[in-house]
Amino acid sequence: MHRRPGSMHAVSEGIILDHVGKRFTVGVAALQEVSLQVAPGEFVALVGPSGCGKSTILRLVAGLDAPTLGRVEAPAVTDRREAATAFVFQEPTLMPWASVFDNVWLPLRLAGVARAQAAVQVRELLQGMGLGDFEQAYPAELSGGMRMRASIARALVTRPRVLLMDEPFAALDEITRGRLNVDLLAWWAERSLTVVFVTHSVYESVFLSQRVLVMSERPGRVIAEVTIDEPYPRTAAFRATEAYQDACRRVSAALVAA
Amino acid sequence: MKPERLLPAVTLLGLLVGWEALVRLAQIPHYTLPAPSLVAQTLWQNFPSLAASWWFTLRITFGGLALAALGGVTIAAVFALSRRVEAALFPLAVVLQVTPIVAIAPLILIYVESTTAALLLCAWVVAFFPVLSNTVIGLRAADPNLRDLFRLYRATPWQRLRLLLVPSALPYFIAGLKISGGLSLIGAVTAEMVAGVAGRETGLASRILEASFRSETPKMFAALALLMITGVLIFWAFNALSRVLIGRWHASEQP
Amino acid sequence: MKLTAFAAIGAAIVLASPAAFALDKVTFATNWKAQAAHGGFYQALADGTYREHGLDVRILQGGPQVNNAALLPAGRVDFLMTGNLLHSFDGVRNGLPTVVVAAIFQKDPQALIAHPGQGYEKFESLRNAPVALIAKDAQFSWWQWLKARHGFRDEMLRPYNYNLGPFLANKRALQQGYSVAEPIYVLKQGGFQPVVHLLADHGFSTYSTLISTRTDTVRKRPDLVQRFVDASIIGWVNYLYGDRRAANARMIADNPEMTAAEIEAAVELMKSQGIVDSGEALAGGIGAMNEARIRDFYDQMVGAGLYGADEIDLSKVATLQFVNRKVGLQLKARLLAASER
Repeated sequence: MHRRPGSMHAVSEGIILDHVGKRFTVGVAALQEVSLQVAPGEFVALVGPSGCGKSTILRLVAGLDAPTLGRVEAPAVTDRREAATAFVFQEPTLMPWASVFDNVWLPLRLAGVARAQAAVQVRELLQGMGLGDFEQAYPAELSGGMRMRASIARALVTRPRVLLMDEPFAALDEITRGRLNVDLLAWWAERSLTVVFVTHSVYESVFLSQRVLVMSERPGRVIAEVTIDEPYPRTAAFRATEAYQDACRRVSAALVAA
Repeated sequence: MKPERLLPAVTLLGLLVGWEALVRLAQIPHYTLPAPSLVAQTLWQNFPSLAASWWFTLRITFGGLALAALGGVTIAAVFALSRRVEAALFPLAVVLQVTPIVAIAPLILIYVESTTAALLLCAWVVAFFPVLSNTVIGLRAADPNLRDLFRLYRATPWQRLRLLLVPSALPYFIAGLKISGGLSLIGAVTAEMVAGVAGRETGLASRILEASFRSETPKMFAALALLMITGVLIFWAFNALSRVLIGRWHASEQP
Repeated sequence: MKLTAFAAIGAAIVLASPAAFALDKVTFATNWKAQAAHGGFYQALADGTYREHGLDVRILQGGPQVNNAALLPAGRVDFLMTGNLLHSFDGVRNGLPTVVVAAIFQKDPQALIAHPGQGYEKFESLRNAPVALIAKDAQFSWWQWLKARHGFRDEMLRPYNYNLGPFLANKRALQQGYSVAEPIYVLKQGGFQPVVHLLADHGFSTYSTLISTRTDTVRKRPDLVQRFVDASIIGWVNYLYGDRRAANARMIADNPEMTAAEIEAAVELMKSQGIVDSGEALAGGIGAMNEARIRDFYDQMVGAGLYGADEIDLSKVATLQFVNRKVGLQLKARLLAASER
């Protein structure tokens, strides 16, 4: 099934950063002047050197921090009541004292949904992620890849409109990473979801996204944008194509120039 | 059963046998060092009265510990909420920790009406600080990313406390309890030593004192043996509690 | 020839005098901090009486929380002072190889003191006091008798640390003390004369300030024991009737909280209350004991329920071989005559 970036929705349901600057109290400016837009339903990747402020952008979009300059428009910021934004951290960030089920249930639980009511949704999600048999397991008993799946399941359980991912697969091995890349695209395809994916890996950014935004060194700003036209679903075969190699080259070049 | 699990029992048995042999061969008089067989016999003969004292000491120990746990957790929660309050009151807590109970027990025993209350207070004083200190750390030890997650999902303060802070603090609290368990026993025993036979009921330490002053050395050793068993039991009990509460998921309990 | 003879006689005299021999080192443990009630021992130390008897004595103080008694059977001290016969009864019951060899006090000055005007003028009212400050040693000896015989209760007990503060601060409190000591301190620190109830007046008829030693010391070195007892008795005679300033200075050195005035006042009380030199001691010398009185005291304790009727072999409690020998009587007569002149 092919998927095209949704353009039906009004831009206000997407994400806008308008001349955003962020300075922390220490005096270091994390973001200089960042302007970018993400349309609803788009899959956008953010790459850049260490410390360029990629994570800061995600936190601003999630409403966890506020900009010192400029304006951020995002569901988490404009509508503080709804939990329409989900976040996946680099560490799985599961509650070690709770089972996989309880971890995935957490966002619904915080919204007041009882365990019995949430059970159907949670189980369905876990099945879809290949964690159906591990419902009662504890995080300490799972492998790294499975923990990350659980983390993503938790992120998806509230049917969010925006999914923010901060180098989620960086700590995993190549093979698991590759598998999760393909799975992530499938999960995105099944839902109308805006994804902002931060990564260090040029290859990953090109494989996954429709647009790659390249950032400069600190204080960061967007210095380049590379569009990836390849339609979805993308398979491993995509990595062998010339278009893929070319896009990677362009992104790398932009990074070097950062 | 693995050989390693038998080691403590074997070592203990060896020590007892060695002790018995030493007393018999060197003909050490019973009023200097009684043989384990004599101690056991004395323990058996005096068990009813010693058991009553044992029960009293246990009640003081666990009573003081419960109060320390309650007080420690409550004040830790207050400290975790307000750094100002913590800065103001923490020195007081430290003073409580370092004041030797041996020095203040006589004062407490004189000025508090009921001897039992005075003993509980002494046990509380020594057991309080580890619980407070560890729980404060524990409450602050919640994973920052999890904290962000709770904010993201608009958790209420009550939800945050119940679902995030309390479970995060639990391993630290238990570590504090393990320390406080033994300390509470020491506090109770020290206070009883100072109190002598004061009060309606008396504990094992008073029995030890009594036996010492009345030249009943085997009885002294019998009461001492009960005290040592109590210490070991407390240690085991809290280890078991730790396994039950956090065994499945905390690094400290993983093999 | 004459020179050699004189030299020989001189050498014999020198060799015969005890001071020339190496002194026997001896440790004597007391049951309290140094006070007038220990005066005679410090006197024998200070004026050389122990030395003259071939003894190099070290006095080891006790105290309110200290239990020196265990040191005797363990061999760490040679002689021990105890306050009453209960300790000896317990020792015999538990097979301790120790025995009493002298009883310096004919009367036990152990007392309970109270504030005046609080209704404690009669002994019977004491058992209802809310607080009694009693030290450890006492908690496990005569306090048990007070409970059994006179209805006192453990709930009243509070630890006593040789500090008058708690007693002075609480008008309803009782405190332990020696009738010859604490009233003086209370007058000095609290400014009032306390009510004093002597336990001896209510059935506690024991000897006091007993000297105990190990049975094998008695068996193997009876002359050592005799010398220690005799020197102590002479020390007491000198202390009560002679010049005791050196002894007092020694006691103050051991217990700096004591003052000379307090000691002197206590000595007067000891004399007027007939603590040391009364009853049998007048005829047999200080330290006198007799079996009938020991048995009488034991019967009293049995009556109070502290011991079974035939639980203890009284013959093992004390030996009379070292006392009742009229030691010190002539010295006393001389000193009294000298002081009258």
